[in-house]
Order: sequence, then C-alpha cells, then structure tokens
Amino acid sequence: MSVALCLQNISRHYIKDGKDFTAVSSVDLEVQTGEFLTFLGPSGCGKTTTLRMIAGFETPSSGEILLDGENITKVPANERDMGFVFQNYALFPHMKIFDNVAYGLKIRRETTDSIKKKVHEALAMVGLENAEGNYPNQLSGGEQQRVALARVLVLRPKIILMDEPLSNLDAKLRLHMRTEIRRIQRDLSLTCLYVTHDQKEALTMSDRIMVMQRGHIEQLGSPFDLYDDPASPFVADFIGQANLIPGTLVSKNGDYGIFNVNGKNIQARLGKQNPPEVGKEALLVVRPENLSFASCSENAIPVKIVNTLFEGDKIDYHVQVQGIADKTYSMGIPFLPGMQILDVGLEREASFVPQAGVIIRR
Amino acid sequence: MVKSSEKNDLVTKFTVFALWMAMGVFVVYPLVRLLGVTFWVDGHFTFENLKPFLDNWYDRRAIVNSIVLATAVGLTGTIIGFIFAFAVTRLSMPAWLKFAISAVTLLPLISPPFTSSIALTLSLGPNGILLQFFGLDNFNFYGFWGTYISETLTYFPIAFMTLTTILLRIDPNLEDAAYSLGSSPFNVFRTVTFPLAAPGLANAFLLVFSCSLADFATPQVLGGHSFPVLPTQAYLQITGMYDFKGGAALSFLLIIPALIVYGLQNFWVSRRSFVTVTGKAGGRSSIKGPGPLITAVVLGTVTFISAFVLYLYSIILIGSLIKVWGVDNSLTFENYHYVFTFGSKAIKDTLIIACVGTPIGGLLAVLIGYVTKWLKVKGHKTLETISLLNYTLPGTVVGIAYIIAFNDKPIVLTGTVYILIAAYVFRYSSAGIRNVIASLTQIDPSIEEASTSLGASSAYTFWKITVPLVLPAVMAGMKYLFIHSMTAISATIFLVSVHWSLITTRILECMTELQFAQACAFSIVLIIIVFIASGVMSLIAKTVCPVGNSTGGLR
Repeated sequence: MSVALCLQNISRHYIKDGKDFTAVSSVDLEVQTGEFLTFLGPSGCGKTTTLRMIAGFETPSSGEILLDGENITKVPANERDMGFVFQNYALFPHMKIFDNVAYGLKIRRETTDSIKKKVHEALAMVGLENAEGNYPNQLSGGEQQRVALARVLVLRPKIILMDEPLSNLDAKLRLHMRTEIRRIQRDLSLTCLYVTHDQKEALTMSDRIMVMQRGHIEQLGSPFDLYDDPASPFVADFIGQANLIPGTLVSKNGDYGIFNVNGKNIQARLGKQNPPEVGKEALLVVRPENLSFASCSENAIPVKIVNTLFEGDKIDYHVQVQGIADKTYSMGIPFLPGMQILDVGLEREASFVPQAGVIIRR
Repeated sequence: MVKSSEKNDLVTKFTVFALWMAMGVFVVYPLVRLLGVTFWVDGHFTFENLKPFLDNWYDRRAIVNSIVLATAVGLTGTIIGFIFAFAVTRLSMPAWLKFAISAVTLLPLISPPFTSSIALTLSLGPNGILLQFFGLDNFNFYGFWGTYISETLTYFPIAFMTLTTILLRIDPNLEDAAYSLGSSPFNVFRTVTFPLAAPGLANAFLLVFSCSLADFATPQVLGGHSFPVLPTQAYLQITGMYDFKGGAALSFLLIIPALIVYGLQNFWVSRRSFVTVTGKAGGRSSIKGPGPLITAVVLGTVTFISAFVLYLYSIILIGSLIKVWGVDNSLTFENYHYVFTFGSKAIKDTLIIACVGTPIGGLLAVLIGYVTKWLKVKGHKTLETISLLNYTLPGTVVGIAYIIAFNDKPIVLTGTVYILIAAYVFRYSSAGIRNVIASLTQIDPSIEEASTSLGASSAYTFWKITVPLVLPAVMAGMKYLFIHSMTAISATIFLVSVHWSLITTRILECMTELQFAQACAFSIVLIIIVFIASGVMSLIAKTVCPVGNSTGGLR
C-alpha cells in the first residue's frame, strides 16, 4: 500500500477573545491508499479543524500537507481534487439533484453525454436513480446525504473527506448509512477520512481510528487495538465503556502484571502502548461486560452493589470497590432466563480473566 | 489557471474602484458640498448661515414643530402598528382576515405620499364630507392635526411590519412557559411578550419618527402657513427664494436628528435585542389568548383603522370619478382623460426613470454585497455604511445636496434625467443592499465550501451558487426601488425640470391648484401601475427562483 496523504507536524492556532488558542497541535499522520481512517474525539478536540485543513478550507499555522508526495499546503481548495461531505449536506438548494451532482463535472467541462452517464452511475450507486428531477428540499435527510455523497463520488476524487455526515440522521438510518458508506468505499477502494464523535460509528466503519483530544493525537490504531490496548485513560474511557480502577503495579511477569487494589492482588495484561512502571500508581482497565460475580475466583475484587439497572439483554450493576468510595463501577451481567437480580447493598466479588484486564499508566 | 485568476483580480479591482467612485460622486460629494455651502463662507468656517434660522421665531418654530410632529407620529404609529401586529400574530383569526389586514396596511406603503392627504382634505377640509356629515363648520383641519393624522395613517404600516417580524420571532414556548407557570394572559403579555418586543418597539418608533421627520409631501399639502416644518421650509427657501445657503442650513438642521436616530438604532436598540432567529418555531397553541377584554380592544382598533384606511382610498377612487367634489357629483371619466393627455408625459417619464433605475439598483445591491460580504475588501464596513447613507438622510436633504452639488462644475446634471435616476438609485437601493447583505450572511458557509471543494473558483461559486441564492433578496430590493421610484417626492421635488417631470410632482401641482379630482385620478393611475409592476416583479421572481427564499443548508 502506498501513502496517499501525509500530515507533517500540522498545527493550527487561533486568536480567540484576545487569547491564543491551539485547535490542533503537532499532528503527524500517514494515510494509506484505500484506507478508511476515522478522526474520533469529543467536540472541540480539533478533528474537524484537521479535516478542514486537509480540504483546504483552513490553512495550517505550521506544518505541511502532502498529497501523493506533493506539497499541497498552499494549494487552494478548488484545486486539491478532494471530495468533502458536510454534516448539513450543503446541497445547492436552488439546483435539482441532477445539477447538484453534475456541478463538479460541469466545472471540469466534460461533455453533456459524459456528464449524464456519470451522474446516472453515481446516483445509482447511492440508490437514488429516480431523484434526478427533484430539488433537495423534496428529499428526506438520508436521501440528501446520499446525494451529497454522490456529488463527490462522481468526481472520483483522490480522497473523500466526511465531516460527521450521519449526525443529522435518525438512529436507524444512521446504522443503515454506516454500512452503505463502507460498502461504497470498499467497492471503489476509496481513500476516506471520516470525522465523528460517535465511537460506535468509528469502531464499526474504520480500518484505523485516530483518537484526538485537545488538539493532539491520543492514539492511532485499528479499532481492535484501541479497544484491546488503550494508550491512555482517555482512550480507554472514550472507546466503549471502561472501568478505570486505581491501584499500584506490584510486579511484572512477561506480558502480565500483578496489580494491587486496596490490598488485594490481581493479575492482568500489561498495556503495550504505554506500559506502567513497577511500584508506581497505575490504572486497571476492565470492561463492564468482562466482569462477573464469582465466589471462588482468585482474580477478584470485593465490591458492594449500590444500584441495579435492568436493561433487558443484561443487568447493569453499579458497584463500589472498598477503599475507593467516591467512584462507582459498572458490571454488565448477561441476563439469562430464571436469573435472580441481586439486591442493592449486597457484597460480592467481581472477577475477570487476566486477559480481559489491562494495566496502563495513570 | 494563474491567468484567469489574474483577470478576475483585475475585474474585482475595477469593481471595487467603480463602486467607490459611484459612492464618492453620488453620496459623499453632494453631502460635502451641502456642508460646504452651510459652513463655508468666503473661505472660512462659520455658523453665520445657521444663525437666521435659530434666531428667527418662525423658523425656530419649524424645528420645534418637526420634532413634536415626528414624536407624536412616532408614538401613535408605533402603538397602532403594535396593535395590528399583535392582532395578526397573537389572535386566532382565519387566514383570509389576516391577509386582508396585511393588504390594508400595504396600501399606504405603495401609494404616493399624498393619498391620505388628499382623502383627508376631501373629508375634513373645507366642505369636507365628514364635516358636513357631523355638522362641524369651524373645524380647522390644516396644521398640526391634519398632518399628524395623515402621517400616522401613512407610516404606521412601517411599524406594523417591523413589529410583526419581532412578534413572530418570539419563541411561543416562552409564552407557553409563562402560562404553565401560572401567569394570567395579561401578565404573560406584561412580563414576557412586551419586554421581548421592547427593542422592536423602540426600533419601530425610531423608523416612524424619521419617516415623519423627513416627510415633505404631507406637511406641504396639509401643514399650511401656520404649521411650518423643516422640510417645507427648506423647500420654500430653495424654490421660492433661490436661497441655496438657507436651504442648505435648514437641511443641516434636519440631518442632526436623523443622525441621532440612526445612532440610536445601530448602537442602542440593536444591543438590547434578546429576540433571535432560532429557526425552529414551535407550534403556537390556540387555546390561550390575551383574554376577552384585550381581544375586543385590539380587534375594535384594527377594524376601525382598517375601515378608515379603506374609506380614504374609496374617497380617492370616487373623487377621481366625479366632476367637482361636493359641488357637482356627477360621474365622469374626464379626469382620467386629463391624466392620459396632459399627464402622459409625466407617466412616461416616471416609468422610464423607474425602469432604468431598477436594474441599476439591483446590480448595485449585488455588487455592494459581493464587495463587502464576499470579498471583504479593505474598508468594506465604510463602503456599506456609505452605501446606506443617502437612505438614512431625509429625502429633502438628499435633494438639496444633489441640486447644490450637480448645479455647477465639475459635474452638471440638473435638468437631466440622470440626476433623478441617480437620486433614486443611491437612495432606494438601500433595501436591496440590506437584503442582499442579510441573505449573504444567512447562507451556510458550507454551501460555498462545497462548491469550492468540487473544483469551482471563487468567482464561479459567486455567480453560480451565491447569486441565485440571494436573487429573491435582490428581487425584493428591486421591487422596493421601483415602487419608491414611482411614488417618492421629497428628494426629487428639487430635481424635476421642464424636460423630466414625475407623476408625484404633477399630483402636488394639482393639489396646490385645487384640482382635487385630477389629483385623485393621478393617484389611482399611479397605484394601479405600482400594483401591476409589483405583481409582474413577483411573477418574475417566482420563475427565476423556483425554490423561493431558501438560503439554509439543511432546509
């Protein structure tokens, strides 16, 4: 695979209310051809700014952007050959769907026949063959978003950039569009950069995810890596749900470590991204679905149930660990027929297999 | 690529230069000349020219009268406008009734400024039918009361339009919240609706105030000698005594309150507005209402005033169809015959001027919008302000400034059609300019970014995306310009000549020669032309912009 896009030490500063504000700081990134890469992070983390700098809507304060090895940092947006899909679709309200999709082709001065053919193809690809004669406001939100997609697909750009394209759609449609976008991206082997704050969306769609916080990269890796081996408490908490239990790393033994929680020693994997040091305070990351109540397990922490939420497929127990009174942790116990829901106030032991826990630096 | 962008750059530079030139010649230069004539005598600065008007009892009264009249008209107009706006936005009434009320309030806005004056003269003047009906003989209608009633009826629709927008924009959920917190209908009005509408009320008052302050036509017809105001005094000074210095000095006295109003509107009212466009108006529940008493009062006022406005317009229509008002009431078409023979030149001239000026004004609005909001060239704020300056100033001031500026070298335009067109274009494009700028600000930036990222150049994006999106705004602005080119008088009364006359000046002539029937016929013809023209322009707007005014990204 070749490198399609390369960000080298990209930063963006603003002057906001007289104060210097860093939206993006020193971001380095290499995007492979045909890759689906997602920028994930909470609002204000700099993901959209990064995407807009790649598109050419904003200029980096420092750093360089290379497209196919060519420096495009100062190339205007309309000469970059990238497709941008907007959160609010940004269809031209005064043009019919056909003209919206044909817009870029007309600028390229393609022949009428070729434009017609390509617009048909692009609309067929998103399943909107019959919408050509409509105006954007006659379509539903999901349809409008598909037109917006067709409008950039028709140009076969080197890279497609998408800025939270599904956030204005209802939940069901969002799930459907996830698979649609991914299917089209695979069929055409498009290089795609995707911005979202929805971690589920990121996990299901991406080849790789770049988690951002406060303008810098927290972790870059495949969805599995991020979930299995988070580099920081932030990533652990942001990707999926995680219990972060504080304690001390007692000793290391190969890939595993002994972790002390309030006097009780338990075994878990050592984080590879950001391994903690022996004798230092660290965090144990363990997912709610990996915890279970077991009376005779070695790898267990004594807990007290403080709340129970019945969620249908599972029971969400909120528990407190002795000695860490100000925090509650979550245990997701699958609900099986005939199961008894435990009462609030009971004391039990929460156990997990050593592979399911990761010890990371605090 | 480089070549084309260089060419664009040249075109852009030329556009900016041309706009500054136009603004310089037709806005700044006349004003500078006006101030020069006012304050510059024999090569030095002096207040000498102002002195006679501040010392002279009669002229000092003109100042006081102007302010008192404008305040009275402003207050009454705002109250009536608010009652109308409240009725349309807060009372449940069938759609056709709302439409009828809006139509009645629209009439004074598109009529020549004399319409209500003529009708009032025929009703309350000597031999007026209302006076005869009530048996009042000694009622002197000329002076403050006549002017006040007429101006209030003419200008309250402006307050109505401003306040309707404001009341519509107040989120109904706020009022619902107050109701559900236990507030009585009157208390909801007192504690929620009214405070939120207060900045709008202030703005409406200032608008009506400045309209009354600048109004020339009504006091000219109804004021009489006993009730001088600044615009009529200035007119007298210039056309009666050929005293440019005196006229200029009186204009300057008019500029001061106009600028104060402008300052208040821009720096005081605008900062106190809580009402914002949220874009998602909740459904207005129909159960609540302001209570039977308020409803009755509001509906009573609306009915009475609407009926009175309709009555005035029917007086004009009847007046145009009978021989001599109150003396020989037999039906005749003679007056229309008169209009189409002796008045045909005025009609033709007015139409030519309006038809030439309207597209120029539309282009001006687009270019100003392009330069100030799109290119944001250096000094774009100043350019925007200057482009609206002629509108901010009272028409009389603009007219006097034009006649002073273009009467001698280096630019001689008096007596030509160009001075009339220029006066209209640079004064009444304001609506178009504001509309275009407002709708440019409303366009979601992502729409333009989408165009750019699809490969379009900046200029291509502007002409293919932005212009079509602001076209409804431009068309509305052109309609406004056309209507005012047909009906305005205060600025152009100074600028007409033997070669180029206007329908409005002909109406004024008829009024001063007591040819009421002909004046009525002229008014009716003018109103019909304006109606047809605005209908045609709405039709054009509909065909050019089939999706209507849609500048949003989402919807």
